[in-house]
Amino acid sequence: MLVLRRRVGESILIGDGIEVSVIDISPTRVKLGILAPGAVFILRKELRQAEAENQAAARGVNRQAVEALVKQLRGG
Amino acid sequence: MATTETTQFGVLEYDPQDIIQFPRGLPAFEDQTEFLLVEKAATLPVVFLQSLRDPGLSFITLPTLAIDPSYRLALSPEDLAALQLDPGRQPEEGREVVSLAIVTVKEGEAATANLMAPVVIHRAARQGLQALQPWTGYSHQHPLPGQGGQ
Repeated sequence: MLVLRRRVGESILIGDGIEVSVIDISPTRVKLGILAPGAVFILRKELRQAEAENQAAARGVNRQAVEALVKQLRGG
Repeated sequence: MATTETTQFGVLEYDPQDIIQFPRGLPAFEDQTEFLLVEKAATLPVVFLQSLRDPGLSFITLPTLAIDPSYRLALSPEDLAALQLDPGRQPEEGREVVSLAIVTVKEGEAATANLMAPVVIHRAARQGLQALQPWTGYSHQHPLPGQGGQ
Protein backbone atom coordinates (compact mmCIF):
# COMPACT_ATOMS: atom_id res chain seq x y z
CA MET A 1 0.00 0.00 0.00
CA LEU A 2 1.28 3.47 -0.89
CA VAL A 3 0.84 5.87 2.05
CA LEU A 4 0.88 9.62 1.42
CA ARG A 5 0.21 12.68 3.53
CA ARG A 6 -1.97 15.36 1.94
CA ARG A 7 -3.26 18.69 3.17
CA VAL A 8 -6.66 20.18 2.39
CA GLY A 9 -6.73 21.19 -1.25
CA GLU A 10 -4.04 18.75 -2.34
CA SER A 11 -4.66 15.87 -4.77
CA ILE A 12 -3.46 12.45 -5.85
CA LEU A 13 -3.54 11.17 -9.45
CA ILE A 14 -4.25 7.47 -10.01
CA GLY A 15 -3.92 5.63 -13.33
CA ASP A 16 -5.56 7.28 -16.31
CA GLY A 17 -7.94 10.05 -15.41
CA ILE A 18 -8.55 9.40 -11.70
CA GLU A 19 -7.98 12.23 -9.24
CA VAL A 20 -8.59 12.12 -5.50
CA SER A 21 -8.64 15.47 -3.67
CA VAL A 22 -8.78 16.26 0.02
CA ILE A 23 -11.65 18.71 0.43
CA ASP A 24 -11.90 18.98 4.20
CA ILE A 25 -10.40 17.47 7.31
CA SER A 26 -12.05 17.21 10.74
CA PRO A 27 -10.80 15.41 13.86
CA THR A 28 -12.53 12.16 12.91
CA ARG A 29 -13.29 12.38 9.18
CA VAL A 30 -11.70 13.40 5.91
CA LYS A 31 -13.86 14.64 3.03
CA LEU A 32 -12.59 13.38 -0.31
CA GLY A 33 -13.53 14.46 -3.83
CA ILE A 34 -13.06 11.89 -6.58
CA LEU A 35 -12.92 12.53 -10.32
CA ALA A 36 -12.99 9.43 -12.50
CA PRO A 37 -14.25 8.25 -15.89
CA GLY A 38 -17.86 7.00 -15.76
CA ALA A 39 -16.84 3.39 -16.31
CA VAL A 40 -14.78 3.31 -13.10
CA PHE A 41 -16.79 2.29 -10.03
CA ILE A 42 -16.34 4.23 -6.81
CA LEU A 43 -17.89 2.95 -3.63
CA ARG A 44 -17.27 2.70 0.07
CA LYS A 45 -15.34 -0.44 0.87
CA GLU A 46 -17.82 -1.66 3.46
CA LEU A 47 -20.60 -1.57 0.83
CA ARG A 48 -18.62 -3.88 -1.46
CA GLN A 49 -17.86 -6.15 1.51
CA ALA A 50 -21.55 -6.28 2.47
CA GLU A 51 -22.57 -7.05 -1.13
CA ALA A 52 -20.07 -9.90 -1.35
CA GLU A 53 -21.07 -11.33 2.02
CA ASN A 54 -24.79 -11.15 1.18
CA GLN A 55 -24.26 -12.98 -2.11
CA ALA A 56 -22.17 -15.68 -0.44
CA ALA A 57 -24.66 -15.93 2.44
CA ALA A 58 -27.65 -16.34 0.09
CA ARG A 59 -25.84 -19.09 -1.86
CA GLY A 60 -25.03 -21.12 1.24
CA VAL A 61 -28.52 -21.50 2.67
CA ASN A 62 -29.76 -25.10 2.70
CA ARG A 63 -31.17 -27.52 5.28
CA GLN A 64 -27.88 -29.26 6.08
CA ALA A 65 -26.05 -25.96 6.49
CA VAL A 66 -28.69 -24.71 8.96
CA GLU A 67 -28.66 -27.97 10.95
CA ALA A 68 -24.87 -27.99 11.16
CA LEU A 69 -24.82 -24.36 12.27
CA VAL A 70 -27.48 -24.87 14.98
CA LYS A 71 -25.66 -27.95 16.29
CA GLN A 72 -22.40 -26.02 16.51
CA LEU A 73 -24.01 -23.01 18.22
CA ARG A 74 -25.62 -25.23 20.83
CA GLY A 75 -22.19 -26.65 21.61
CA GLY A 76 -22.74 -29.98 19.91
CA MET B 1 -53.42 -14.97 7.19
CA ALA B 2 -51.54 -15.12 3.91
CA THR B 3 -49.28 -17.80 2.50
CA THR B 4 -46.19 -17.91 0.32
CA GLU B 5 -44.41 -20.89 -1.23
CA THR B 6 -40.79 -20.75 -0.05
CA THR B 7 -37.79 -22.90 -0.90
CA GLN B 8 -36.58 -23.06 2.69
CA PHE B 9 -39.88 -23.71 4.53
CA GLY B 10 -42.30 -24.92 1.89
CA VAL B 11 -45.66 -23.21 2.31
CA LEU B 12 -45.23 -20.47 4.89
CA GLU B 13 -48.27 -19.01 6.63
CA TYR B 14 -47.91 -15.45 7.85
CA ASP B 15 -49.78 -12.40 9.02
CA PRO B 16 -49.44 -9.56 6.49
CA GLN B 17 -49.04 -7.26 9.50
CA ASP B 18 -45.68 -8.93 10.13
CA ILE B 19 -44.19 -7.90 6.77
CA ILE B 20 -41.14 -5.69 7.20
CA GLN B 21 -40.41 -3.08 4.53
CA PHE B 22 -36.85 -2.66 3.33
CA PRO B 23 -37.19 0.30 0.94
CA ARG B 24 -33.54 0.05 -0.12
CA GLY B 25 -33.47 -3.75 -0.05
CA LEU B 26 -30.06 -5.16 0.97
CA PRO B 27 -26.60 -4.60 -0.59
CA ALA B 28 -26.54 -6.74 -3.78
CA PHE B 29 -30.30 -7.38 -3.37
CA GLU B 30 -31.72 -3.88 -3.76
CA ASP B 31 -34.98 -5.12 -5.29
CA GLN B 32 -35.85 -7.29 -2.29
CA THR B 33 -38.02 -4.83 -0.42
CA GLU B 34 -40.25 -7.04 1.73
CA PHE B 35 -39.12 -9.59 4.30
CA LEU B 36 -40.49 -11.73 7.08
CA LEU B 37 -38.62 -12.81 10.21
CA VAL B 38 -39.07 -16.56 10.64
CA GLU B 39 -38.09 -18.47 13.76
CA LYS B 40 -38.57 -22.21 14.25
CA ALA B 41 -38.10 -23.94 17.62
CA ALA B 42 -35.89 -26.61 16.04
CA THR B 43 -33.41 -24.09 14.66
CA LEU B 44 -33.24 -21.42 17.37
CA PRO B 45 -31.37 -19.14 17.87
CA VAL B 46 -31.30 -18.76 14.09
CA VAL B 47 -33.68 -16.13 12.73
CA PHE B 48 -34.40 -16.50 9.01
CA LEU B 49 -34.84 -13.36 6.95
CA GLN B 50 -37.25 -14.61 4.29
CA SER B 51 -37.87 -12.52 1.20
CA LEU B 52 -41.44 -12.17 -0.02
CA ARG B 53 -40.40 -10.80 -3.42
CA ASP B 54 -38.27 -13.89 -4.11
CA PRO B 55 -39.54 -16.90 -2.13
CA GLY B 56 -36.33 -18.73 -3.00
CA LEU B 57 -34.28 -16.13 -1.11
CA SER B 58 -33.73 -16.64 2.58
CA PHE B 59 -30.88 -15.45 4.81
CA ILE B 60 -29.64 -17.16 7.96
CA THR B 61 -29.18 -14.55 10.68
CA LEU B 62 -28.36 -14.47 14.38
CA PRO B 63 -29.20 -11.75 16.89
CA THR B 64 -26.04 -9.66 17.28
CA LEU B 65 -26.22 -9.94 21.07
CA ALA B 66 -26.29 -13.75 20.76
CA ILE B 67 -22.96 -13.56 18.92
CA ASP B 68 -21.38 -10.99 21.25
CA PRO B 69 -23.24 -9.79 24.36
CA SER B 70 -21.22 -6.56 24.37
CA TYR B 71 -22.18 -5.65 20.78
CA ARG B 72 -23.68 -2.18 20.45
CA LEU B 73 -25.28 -0.55 17.44
CA ALA B 74 -23.64 2.55 15.93
CA LEU B 75 -26.29 3.71 13.47
CA SER B 76 -25.68 6.83 11.38
CA PRO B 77 -28.14 9.76 11.57
CA GLU B 78 -29.29 8.85 8.03
CA ASP B 79 -30.06 5.26 9.07
CA LEU B 80 -31.82 6.39 12.25
CA ALA B 81 -34.02 8.69 10.16
CA ALA B 82 -34.69 5.99 7.53
CA LEU B 83 -35.85 3.67 10.31
CA GLN B 84 -38.06 6.39 11.82
CA LEU B 85 -36.09 6.24 15.04
CA ASP B 86 -35.14 9.03 17.43
CA PRO B 87 -32.16 10.74 15.72
CA GLY B 88 -30.57 11.71 19.00
CA ARG B 89 -29.58 8.30 20.38
CA GLN B 90 -28.89 4.67 19.53
CA PRO B 91 -32.00 2.46 19.84
CA GLU B 92 -32.42 -0.26 22.46
CA GLU B 93 -31.73 -3.68 20.98
CA GLY B 94 -34.40 -6.27 21.66
CA ARG B 95 -37.00 -3.73 22.69
CA GLU B 96 -37.25 -1.02 20.02
CA VAL B 97 -35.25 -2.75 17.34
CA VAL B 98 -34.18 -6.20 16.26
CA SER B 99 -30.48 -6.31 15.39
CA LEU B 100 -29.37 -9.29 13.30
CA ALA B 101 -26.13 -10.35 11.64
CA ILE B 102 -26.32 -12.20 8.33
CA VAL B 103 -24.47 -15.50 8.54
CA THR B 104 -22.39 -16.91 5.69
CA VAL B 105 -22.09 -20.70 5.77
CA LYS B 106 -19.36 -22.06 3.54
CA GLU B 107 -18.66 -25.72 2.81
CA GLY B 108 -15.57 -26.87 4.67
CA GLU B 109 -14.96 -23.50 6.32
CA ALA B 110 -16.03 -21.89 9.56
CA ALA B 111 -19.30 -19.95 9.35
CA THR B 112 -19.02 -16.18 9.82
CA ALA B 113 -21.38 -13.33 10.65
CA ASN B 114 -21.37 -9.79 9.26
CA LEU B 115 -21.18 -7.72 12.44
CA MET B 116 -19.90 -4.71 10.53
CA ALA B 117 -23.22 -4.32 8.72
CA PRO B 118 -26.10 -5.52 10.90
CA VAL B 119 -29.66 -5.81 9.65
CA VAL B 120 -31.68 -3.49 11.87
CA ILE B 121 -35.46 -3.60 12.09
CA HIS B 122 -37.60 -1.00 13.86
CA ARG B 123 -40.32 -3.24 15.26
CA ALA B 124 -43.19 -0.77 15.63
CA ALA B 125 -42.64 0.91 12.26
CA ARG B 126 -41.94 -2.40 10.51
CA GLN B 127 -39.02 -0.82 8.65
CA GLY B 128 -35.65 -2.45 8.11
CA LEU B 129 -32.28 -1.88 6.52
CA GLN B 130 -28.74 -3.21 6.54
CA ALA B 131 -26.61 -0.58 8.28
CA LEU B 132 -23.08 -0.07 6.96
CA GLN B 133 -21.57 1.00 10.23
CA PRO B 134 -18.31 2.84 10.78
CA TRP B 135 -15.46 0.67 11.95
CA THR B 136 -16.13 -0.25 15.58
CA GLY B 137 -13.81 -3.24 15.66
CA TYR B 138 -16.30 -5.76 14.29
CA SER B 139 -15.60 -7.56 11.05
CA HIS B 140 -17.88 -8.38 8.13
CA GLN B 141 -16.59 -11.93 8.64
CA HIS B 142 -16.77 -12.37 12.40
CA PRO B 143 -16.13 -16.01 13.39
CA LEU B 144 -19.04 -17.67 15.20
CA PRO B 145 -18.76 -19.27 18.64
CA GLY B 146 -18.74 -23.01 19.10
CA GLN B 147 -16.51 -23.91 16.20
CA GLY B 148 -13.67 -26.26 17.01
CA GLY B 149 -10.42 -26.65 15.19
CA GLN B 150 -10.19 -23.10 13.85
